[in-house]
Amino acid sequence: MKNRRFYTLALAALTLLPLSCSEDFLDTKPLDKISADATWADGALSEAFIFNVYSYLGYGGFEEEALASLTDEAMFTHSGRNINVITEGSLSAATTGNTVIVPQWDELYLAIRQANIAIQELPEATFEDAELKDRLLGEARFLRAYYYHQLMRYYGSAPLIDRPYELDEDYSIARSTYAENVDFVLGDLDQAIALLDGKPQTPGRASKFSAMGLKSRVLLYAASDLRDGPTASANSSAHAGYSNLELVAYTGGDRMARWNAAKVASKELLDATSGYKLDLNAPVSPEAGFQNYLSIAMGGGSSVGDAAARAELLFERTHSPLFTVESQWPLGGIHQGINNGPNGYHNWAGNTPIQQLVDDYEMMDGSKFDWNNPTHSADPYANRDPRFYATILYDGADWKPRPSDVAAMDPNDQIQTGSYANGSGGVIPGIDTRDSPIENWNGSRTGYYVRKFIDADPALADNQSSAQVIPWPFIRYTEIALNYVEACLETGDEGEAINWLNKIRYRVGMPAVTATGSELVELYRNERRVELAYEEHRFFDARRWMIAPETLGRGIKVMRVSATLKPGATPLVPYRHDKNVYDYSYNVVDNTDNETRSWDDKMYFFPLNRDEINRNDKLIQNPGY
Amino acid sequence: MKSKVNLCAETSFFRPIFFALALFLSGSLISQLYAQAQTVTGTVTASDGMPLPGVSIVDVNDPATGVVADFDGNYTIQLSSGTTSLRFSYIGFKAVVVPVNNQTTINVSMEEDVAALDEVVVVGYGTQKKATVTGAVTSVQGPALEASPAVSVSNSLAGRLPGVVIIQTSGEPGNDESSINIRGTNTLGNNSPLIVIDGIPDRDGGIGRLNPEDIDNISVLKDASAAIYGARAANGALIVTTKQGRTGRPTVTYKADFGLARPTRVPEMANAEEYLTIMNELAIFNSNIPVSQWGPAWDAFKADGSYTIPSSSETINAPFSPETVRGHAEGLDPWLYPDTDWFDDTFKDWSDQSRHNLSISGGGENVKYYSSIGYTDQDAYYRNSANRYQQYNFRINTDVKVNDYINAKLGFAYRKEDRKFPTEGAGAIFRMLMRGRPNEPAIWPNGLPGPDIENGQQPVVVTTNATGYDKQPTDYLQFTGNIDITQPWIEGLKLTLLAGVDQSQARRKRWETPWTLYYLDRENYINTGVPVLEGAIRSNFTDPRLTQASENILNTNLTALLNYDRVFAEDHTVNILAGITRETFQGEFFSAFRRNYISAAVDQLFAGGSLQQNTDGRAYNRTRLGYYGRVQYNFKEKYLAEFIWRYDGSYIFPGVDRFGFFPGFLAGWNISNEDWFNVSGIDYLKLRGSYGQMGNDQVFFNNSLQEFAFLSTYGFGEYPINGEVVTTLEETILANPSFTWERANNFNLGLDGIILNNKLSFTLEYFLNKRDQILIQKTGSTPGSSGIADLLPPVNAGKVDNEGFEFALNYYGGNEDSFKWDAGVNGGFAKNKVVFLDEIPGAPAYQRQEGKPINAYLVYQYDGVFRDEAEIAANTLDYSNVKPQLEPGDMKFKDVDGNGVIDDRDQVRLDENITPKFNFGATFNASYKNFDLAVLFQGATGASLPIQTESGDIGNFLKYSFDNRWSIDNPSSVHPRLASRGDTYYSGGGFGNNTYYLFSKDYIRLKNVQLAYNFPDKWLEPFGLTQFKVYVSGLNLVTWAKNDIYDPESTISSGQFYPQAKIINTGFTLKF
Repeated sequence: MKNRRFYTLALAALTLLPLSCSEDFLDTKPLDKISADATWADGALSEAFIFNVYSYLGYGGFEEEALASLTDEAMFTHSGRNINVITEGSLSAATTGNTVIVPQWDELYLAIRQANIAIQELPEATFEDAELKDRLLGEARFLRAYYYHQLMRYYGSAPLIDRPYELDEDYSIARSTYAENVDFVLGDLDQAIALLDGKPQTPGRASKFSAMGLKSRVLLYAASDLRDGPTASANSSAHAGYSNLELVAYTGGDRMARWNAAKVASKELLDATSGYKLDLNAPVSPEAGFQNYLSIAMGGGSSVGDAAARAELLFERTHSPLFTVESQWPLGGIHQGINNGPNGYHNWAGNTPIQQLVDDYEMMDGSKFDWNNPTHSADPYANRDPRFYATILYDGADWKPRPSDVAAMDPNDQIQTGSYANGSGGVIPGIDTRDSPIENWNGSRTGYYVRKFIDADPALADNQSSAQVIPWPFIRYTEIALNYVEACLETGDEGEAINWLNKIRYRVGMPAVTATGSELVELYRNERRVELAYEEHRFFDARRWMIAPETLGRGIKVMRVSATLKPGATPLVPYRHDKNVYDYSYNVVDNTDNETRSWDDKMYFFPLNRDEINRNDKLIQNPGY
Repeated sequence: MKSKVNLCAETSFFRPIFFALALFLSGSLISQLYAQAQTVTGTVTASDGMPLPGVSIVDVNDPATGVVADFDGNYTIQLSSGTTSLRFSYIGFKAVVVPVNNQTTINVSMEEDVAALDEVVVVGYGTQKKATVTGAVTSVQGPALEASPAVSVSNSLAGRLPGVVIIQTSGEPGNDESSINIRGTNTLGNNSPLIVIDGIPDRDGGIGRLNPEDIDNISVLKDASAAIYGARAANGALIVTTKQGRTGRPTVTYKADFGLARPTRVPEMANAEEYLTIMNELAIFNSNIPVSQWGPAWDAFKADGSYTIPSSSETINAPFSPETVRGHAEGLDPWLYPDTDWFDDTFKDWSDQSRHNLSISGGGENVKYYSSIGYTDQDAYYRNSANRYQQYNFRINTDVKVNDYINAKLGFAYRKEDRKFPTEGAGAIFRMLMRGRPNEPAIWPNGLPGPDIENGQQPVVVTTNATGYDKQPTDYLQFTGNIDITQPWIEGLKLTLLAGVDQSQARRKRWETPWTLYYLDRENYINTGVPVLEGAIRSNFTDPRLTQASENILNTNLTALLNYDRVFAEDHTVNILAGITRETFQGEFFSAFRRNYISAAVDQLFAGGSLQQNTDGRAYNRTRLGYYGRVQYNFKEKYLAEFIWRYDGSYIFPGVDRFGFFPGFLAGWNISNEDWFNVSGIDYLKLRGSYGQMGNDQVFFNNSLQEFAFLSTYGFGEYPINGEVVTTLEETILANPSFTWERANNFNLGLDGIILNNKLSFTLEYFLNKRDQILIQKTGSTPGSSGIADLLPPVNAGKVDNEGFEFALNYYGGNEDSFKWDAGVNGGFAKNKVVFLDEIPGAPAYQRQEGKPINAYLVYQYDGVFRDEAEIAANTLDYSNVKPQLEPGDMKFKDVDGNGVIDDRDQVRLDENITPKFNFGATFNASYKNFDLAVLFQGATGASLPIQTESGDIGNFLKYSFDNRWSIDNPSSVHPRLASRGDTYYSGGGFGNNTYYLFSKDYIRLKNVQLAYNFPDKWLEPFGLTQFKVYVSGLNLVTWAKNDIYDPESTISSGQFYPQAKIINTGFTLKF
């Protein structure tokens, strides 16, 4: 009996033993992650970490909702995206408007943290390749500078954080002054320039030229009216009553030195590399001008553009047609055509040009367009700056082949944004209007569609299964040339300014500049508006120059095209644009469908989010809020 | 690596456990009795004299000695002593204890127990007599579930379990399971209860697809009684026990059901005329026509379809001319003027479902078995549906008495859940159904499909397999093994070894093919009268594409239990349980994608193009280890006390905080067992209370489980560099080296009683659950500039209180031979309150989440509508933050803070969210002669849902919106002007969150009815049948709801979901 008792005990014990003993079996290892330590011991893994720091750049102007729609370039077609909150001036700390277009404070600091981790870890990293280490560190410095420059231009200035925080630290921190922000960014950029010198250049990654280009921009912005305390206070009621001007502007210092610094930095970049076809001595033909400008927009990513135009790009986001995160909704750069193309192509209109932009394209001869000129108003789309035709789709413009279900309605592949007499007293609504039989809720409200960054390759349909790979130009050579022109003008060097303005104009077939003085400044500003349309510049330029009240604050004007039959003519079935059959009239009307735009001086900067101020009580709000 | 050889001497916990065990075993040896052996035989009968098979007969002084009465109610038991007593027990009958007194024949007649006090209730790692239960435990028996024609058993639980909140949000075949919560919402994190099936917690596949015929009973542990499940018990536990065979002649049961299903409710949409009227009105509202001219403009629109603004000469055309509107209204020509009901054209009237189940059970003295095989088939509402759910299930439960001391059980279950879906998801399909414009054709008069709504999505087509298919079959293999070992030397001691192995494979094959839609050449038709349709490929791709994926899961559970169950000195009943469980959960996933197929003829991966392929794969490995136990004591079943505990470790927590101790204290007082208790009318009364601490180790942020949050790791991502997708590494979460489980502090007070001469039983519960250490991200106090606001790790900081009560009343009515009935009502109220969630500081008190239920709505207070310009002129509030210039039909808001300005500080946090606070059910069961009737009403109150559809030029409006709108002809001061999507401040954006759109979700419905007829025995006997029952049943037959736009259980504001089903079912049961 005793033995059996023992066996029972032993049996019980033995069965329990394997269950109870190995608590270390709870130490499972993650199968989908890699440890931080292992990462910084390996060059390829460290590089993968840096690639992620790029991912916070977003799609730039290729977001579904683009920065252009916050300016007098465009309006966004669909309501309910909190765009009107921004353009109508009802912004407040509690209501900060659209968060897709405007880089959010949290997101930028998350990106900065990733750069800070790299900047902290790379000098200690244990992998051997010193060349790679320098390159990665240079990229991290550049990216940190880029993200801080975003904070500065959207939010005025920001707290400077140069290391990754740990858990449970005191996170409250005050904003540094604008001057300190500029210095911090310049410090990073100078280091990036040094570290990236002689390193390979890869599209989609930062190079030495990216850093030099960004330096030019940061210095130009720093020298501008908005950032000069006294000038800003004189021009803006919000600034005048603001007791912490140093947070958003220089309150002292030598402004001319700032212009000179911008001039020097810009020239250094212009000399260090070259753009695309900026060595011309006379205008090219309008056709060649159109093609040159198209090539620049295509950035080497389309079969219809000259691949050499990629030289323009100093810093870009590249795209891939592969089945990846890129093809997830909301759609980015690969689906720019869907986001912005006409509803008559089953596209979504998105950021449509408004009349004010259309009107600012000069005539082919360099004169201004004028609705009071009967020749102009009778045929407003004739003889315009070739960049107009490469940027904007208008009623009657030729465009890509229609999708198969629409082809019968428009075998001629022309944009239809008007309404056309049907010969029996009624009208046929254009296929690309909001009265179209095709997805009318996606029709343009302005009578125009943007063409600029949509791959113009007729073989590439704009739909969800075809992807375009046009890169997004964060910084391009011509911007720096224009920066240089501006700095030259501000430092009294008109000759050099005209020299570079002409290069830019010759490339697109426009005649040389004849203006001087303030007229030349106006011309430069218009040139910059037209050349860099839809490239996320107008928003900042109108603010820097403090011309926003009379530009961005204007109500939206749109085009209503209507066609009546010429006497005796019979309507075309299906309709096509034909001046021999129809009389076209072009009416500019106000549009307040989504927005009733106006300007308030607080809009020079976005408000700091009330929640952020509540979480960080050292923050001081921007002027006017 | 630690060496396994040294028997883990360094493991701190092993030694005390082992020592305790040894002590426990040897200590139990002391109390052994040796007495004269004796054999007793007898027959057990029911009160009507019929023999009762399957009655369990146990020596009360030696529970290990027990037998079961055979098919004729006969039994023979060997007793070690003739001075003991025998306890006869059987479910549904009052237990009887008979002293042996050295008799050799004992015949017993057992009485049916309507109140079932002797019923055995399943609790964690064991069973308890209902009379001795001290926790808040509620249960439902299999037969109640079998009466429901719902395909997922989760949908049959509603209204039957007080305190269990069952909400069905979708009726899509294959995805129609209800969510299950015990006592509502207790935490900011995961609120799902632990599901235990046949002793194995967290069983793969859960409860939703169990064959209802296989379920013996479901117990719900609502309070501290769940503490034995430790770190996963905080949300309570649902314990499912499947059927075992019973001693007796083999019984073969075949049950067949044939059902017809249709939506409980489909949103009623505007018809063509109504829709076009709205669109014409919107054209005026959105034009440059001044408000003062809206009236003339509308008259002009109705008269001749256009209006010219005098001041600017701008002509505004009505989008739809009077002739067009009339054409649609009068249905003049279906080619040109359709009046489409998209739901009607997409749905069948009724969809079939059927269910077949064959089971065999029985057993002799040593072997008992239950086995079943079942098939379920459920079609969707769509015509030619690509959506279908089929299930095949198979189960064998065997129970083998190896010898007097060893009893073994082996359970094996196989289940195939075969889901087929259209290539478009239900959300996308119902988005298009809601949007479908009634003036456009879904189906041309000749039967071809009309144009899409957008992106090629045409509900009539994308609900069929014209677009390919998405097959998602999942196979489950589940084993449960159980050995009970007793021995003759230590009375009452039992060792149980339990193992569960669940293996599943979920596969997916998604084959997408381009599809064609048809377009009318309108001009040609108008001119010639001949309709010519042209087909165009309208899918947003033209090349077929295939995704194939597979996920394999292997879960194992090894458990050892030591149970000591004895009665000392007749009055002191002691039960001690100690156990160890070790669990692993492993998963592995891969997928492959190819596109650019040259034809849709071959749907295999190899045939795809070589460009743009994509593959993916992942795995996980999760482990848990728990030590637990229970000590129960009762004195004469009068005073009851229980202590349960678990020392539980989870892989999800960092090493130092990995193990925790979870105790539960329960006590009960059977007042009616007191000698002094003699209250007429009160037959039974028990007061009980419990307190327990339990854990929740489910850390979910952004709907994903946060694992390894204590390690500093980087996750993998992708980004294009130089046009190529490269791998990236990113910080996914900041490491937190110390965090631990959420802690539930649950109090419960209960009162059970039986009154009115055993006619009425009742249970009342009060509970207070104080959850703390809730794992949250400290987003409220971490500024964005820290850079970590989106990377915050779990920290134990949140606090939520949840308080409520439950009741259940059952009345057992007539009990004559021909008419028997019983009726019950039950309900559960639970209201939670956020105590702390690291809320962003600065909000006014009336907006704070803290102090209000979780996810309580933060909304503007609707205050009517500006009926006309005079009302706008009279308005004194500042609406400049809302809209630059108010117009008639605009919505008014209350100026809550009284500052004269409508702004964000006028939002108010309501006391309400999307989850009902009070859930209730009422049952009525009756049998008269050969008829049986079972009725269940069920309902809920205290929740609301914002209803805002995607309407306007983009899609149709609800009929409700059309009927109740501000219009030029009929200005309203109650209902606002309609708008295209978010075109107005009150239909979109921040101000769109207002109380106007909140609709009550209160409802009561006839959830389940079954009327059955049992054919009389005399007709059955010639066929050798023991039962032939035919029945009709129904689910969700009638619903009374305050909001009749969607089904009241719905949680989707836009109506973009597959609606819940109403089912009418007939069936029969054959037994032989």
